[in-house]
Formats: sequence, structure tokens, C-alpha cells
Amino acid sequence: MIDLADLLAASAQVSAAPGGRAPDAVAVGGLGDPGTVLLSGPGTGSGPESLDAHLDRWAGLPVLDGAQVLALLRAGGLDGRGGGGFPLARKVAAALASGGPPVLLVNASESEPASAKDATLCACRPHLVLDGAALVAAALGVDHVVVHLHRGAGAPVDGISRAVAERRGGGHDVVAWTVSLGPDRYVSGEASAIAGYVHDGDARPRFAMAPLAVEGPTGRPTVVVNAETVAQLGVMARIGPRAWAALGTGGSPGPRLLTVAGAVDRPGRVVELVGPGTVGDVLAGTGCTAAPAAVLVGGFAGTWLSGDEAWQAPYERSALACLGAGPGCGLLGVLPHGACALVETARIVGYLAGESAGQCGTCVAGLPRLASAMSSLADGTFRRRGLRRIETLGDELLGSGACAHPDGVVRLVRSTLEVFRDDVVRHLAGEQCRGADHPPVLPVPVPHPAGAGPRPQEHFS
Amino acid sequence: MTTVVRIDPTLCRGHAICALYFSDGVEIDQWGFGRVVEPTLTTRRAVRKALRAAAACPNGAVVVTEHGEAVPVGADHPTDTAGW
Ligand code: SF4
Ligand code: SF4
Repeated sequence: MIDLADLLAASAQVSAAPGGRAPDAVAVGGLGDPGTVLLSGPGTGSGPESLDAHLDRWAGLPVLDGAQVLALLRAGGLDGRGGGGFPLARKVAAALASGGPPVLLVNASESEPASAKDATLCACRPHLVLDGAALVAAALGVDHVVVHLHRGAGAPVDGISRAVAERRGGGHDVVAWTVSLGPDRYVSGEASAIAGYVHDGDARPRFAMAPLAVEGPTGRPTVVVNAETVAQLGVMARIGPRAWAALGTGGSPGPRLLTVAGAVDRPGRVVELVGPGTVGDVLAGTGCTAAPAAVLVGGFAGTWLSGDEAWQAPYERSALACLGAGPGCGLLGVLPHGACALVETARIVGYLAGESAGQCGTCVAGLPRLASAMSSLADGTFRRRGLRRIETLGDELLGSGACAHPDGVVRLVRSTLEVFRDDVVRHLAGEQCRGADHPPVLPVPVPHPAGAGPRPQEHFS
Repeated sequence: MTTVVRIDPTLCRGHAICALYFSDGVEIDQWGFGRVVEPTLTTRRAVRKALRAAAACPNGAVVVTEHGEAVPVGADHPTDTAGW
């Protein structure tokens, strides 16, 4: 048993992180590349790392009791990596304070279509995910963990299932594992939708008066934690919270996983950023030689930044917040010069409108209208007073739903109108769009027709 | 004491009846769906109105809680339609 005090003291003496790296060194790399931490080890194509290989590289997981895990989370300042960025220590503390045995769910479903970081971890480093999940279970005092993935995900499901079987066989953990497979829809990755699906098989978000960590669909406090977040904890427990935090920046402790999409050398590639890097450092590590036209930061429900602004921006929560953006799910979508952001955004909004779970009136009525407004803005058939309509729709959609889906779409639309004001003016004036003939840049799935498609219940049951 | 009122958007069907009983506390959007302006109720008058709106909503979409516990609505909060 490792004493947490020892762990803290030991890590305080390690001024630089493992491998003797200089404190300000920046590394950007994919699976198996030098300088990476979570992605260190075998390269792409090697499949899920076995338990033996994992333990060879990382040694055993320190045995910590609940209070020690909570202290570790607080000392490291681990923030949620699924999108919200909520500190895990506060979630755990809220669940413990709410009474009743908590429910622990690991969200490995990664519903963001362009993002692949959680899928990569589950497919290639599943034991790091399970290690961290076991620690959160200890913090919550629970002996059962549900890992939730999308049914059709393939390699991530295989990776986690194999890892769970290995651990069961060797009696490796005190916790029991359940692998849950749910429908592959955008909002079914929302925390209350996952908690609800595991409880009663309905994967739509739930309205609740209390936060999940206080009272979930079962009536018990429910902690839903992202797969990367727990994998980070698996690293932190071994190297200590200070050394772990030093792999990031003051504003964003720890290493960060990102997915790059659009105009990069390998779209869809997952990279890890270690050290105080900028968005430009990440893009330079993925084949961009100069600032692109723009970067979509944080996911489809994220924020556009102009290429120059993004290139300089430190990739950390506080710095991005100053620009009105956030790391979100870790997506960087690169728009090349010559492509039209209005066209790209219209495709995304069209897809997102079709992903409404069809439960809340304003979301059901408002999102398709917002989508059609954005598509007529993109194809130049839009009139000036339409802008006021977009504004009104945005006000009505914000905060209107049981989940934050409408809010995310409004955020994307508003950042588009702000960052690409000149293009909006050109489109309104009926000028020929520069990017009309450009092939699609971001990997936006074909939208489900809103209203015209199958009933939501059919998708979600 | 904290009394909180919210409209469950998954139940609201846009009748706007809540606004008849709680006009200063509920906003109705262009489709008729209700939204609570300020969920935390600070006066007894506001609590009474919110409970009337809750009793009147045909879908049971208006939820009032006190200290996190749901307040039952019905006979104690008569509305114009309650005597039918
Ligand atoms: S806000 Fe939209 S996506 Fe969210 S639960 Fe309601 S209908 Fe579904
Ligand atoms: S009365 Fe009920 S269903 Fe009608 S708008 Fe108000 S909350 Fe919605």
C-alpha cells in the first residue's frame, strides 16, 4: 500500500515529469510517439495492449483508499475531458455528500462524430481506462462499474471487452465490470441519457431538478465520468499529482488528448499534447505549416476561431475561455483557405438538428428552423432580416431543453456569425461564394431528417 | 427555505395555460412552450402562483420543489378549472 503523503512528497521532488523532460518542453504525438504519456507504448495497428504489457510499462496500480483518491484528484486538479470540464473531485464529493450508494458509469461512447480520442484509448490502452475507473470506484466506495460504449463502435468495444475479461480472469480488481452497449446517436452520449439508458433502456436525455451526482434516474447519486478523464487518473496515481499536473499548464493541468479533423495530413488522427503548447503547436504536429483560415475548437457544438487567433492561442481551458472557446471534447477542425465556413457550419447544424431527441418542444420546433436559416445563408438565398430571425431563434433555444443540445448548436451558430462576419455580408449581398465548389472539409454524418424520420423511440430503444 | 419551480421541457406541450396563472413568472415562446423566468421563488405570492400553474398544467410539466422535495399539487391550489 502506497501512502498518499509519500506519493505527494515524492512527486514534489520530481521537478520535471517522467523521462526527465524539461518543464517547458512541448511534445505533440500520436500512439507510440516519443514524448507522449497516455499514448506512449505500442504504435498504431498493435491492437489493445494486454494486461501484462500494460503492467510491464506502468507497474501495478497503487492501492489507495477512497479518501486518498479524493485527495489525489484535488491535488492534481483533474478536470473532466468529455466536454463540460467539471472537476472530477467535485463530482465525487457531491455524490458522497448526497447519501445512498452511488452509481458509477464510465462514458466511453464518444458521441461526437469527428472525435476519436476515447475510442483510441479504449481500443489501444483499455487498461489505463479501467485502472482509473477502479480508483474512482474506490473513492465512491462502490464495487461495480459500468463502462458504456456505442454498440457499433467496433475496436473500442473489443478493446474494453478483452481487457475486462483479462482482469476478471486474473482476479485483478475488487470491482465487478459491466460493459453496456447503447445506440449510436449524438445526444445519447449525454450524461443523463447514459445514466437513463443503463437504468431503463431509454437513451434520451432526462429532465431533472437535481444534478446527476445528487440524484440520477435510479434515485441514487450517479457519477458519469469520461473515459479519457479516468485514464488520466490511471497515470496520475502512478506518477503523482504534481508530476501529472506539470505535464500540462497552470490553466489546464495534465497532458491533453485531441482529435484533428479537416485540412490536416491525417484527418481523424488522435494526438496527445504534453506541455504548454498552442493550438498552432498541435496543428504544426499534424501537417499544417501555417495558420489555416479557421479552426473549429471543442467539437461540433464548439466555437470557430479565426486561423491566426487560434494558431497563437495556448491550448488550455483559461486561455481558450478568453476567446469564448473551450477544449470541449478535444476536437480541432481545420478549415483550409478557400473553403467556406458558412457552408461547413450549415452542414453541421443540419446534422445536429436531426439529432434532437424529439422530446422538448422548442428544440424540436426551433432547431430545424435554425438549420434551414443557416443553409439558406450558406447558399446565398438568405435575406437580411433573416439575421434577426437567427438571433431570436437563438434566444428561444438557449436553456430551453432538458439537455444542453440546443445551447451547443446556438453557440456554434453565434460564433460563426461573429468570426465570419465578412463572409456573411458577402453571402447576403449575393456575391459568388468562394468556397461553393470546395469539397466538404469536416466529417459530418448524413443528417437524420428532423420530423420526417423514424420516431425517436425507435432510435433510442 | 428554497422553493424552486421549473417546467419539464420533455412534458410541456405548449398549451401556455401556466402563463394564465403565473404570468409574471413564465415566458411563452413563439410556439407556446413555457419557460420559467426565475426558478427560485422568493415570495409566498410567487409560490402560490407557481403551485396554481402546476395544478393547471394539463401535462404535469410544472414542477415545484421545496428543499429538493417535490411539492404535491392539486386540491390545495384551486384553479378556475379545478371545480369542474
Ligand atoms: S433539448 Fe433537444 S436533444 Fe435535449 S432532450 Fe430535449 S429534445 Fe432532446
Ligand atoms: S401549461 Fe404546461 S404544457 Fe402548457 S405551456 Fe405551461 S408548462 Fe407547458
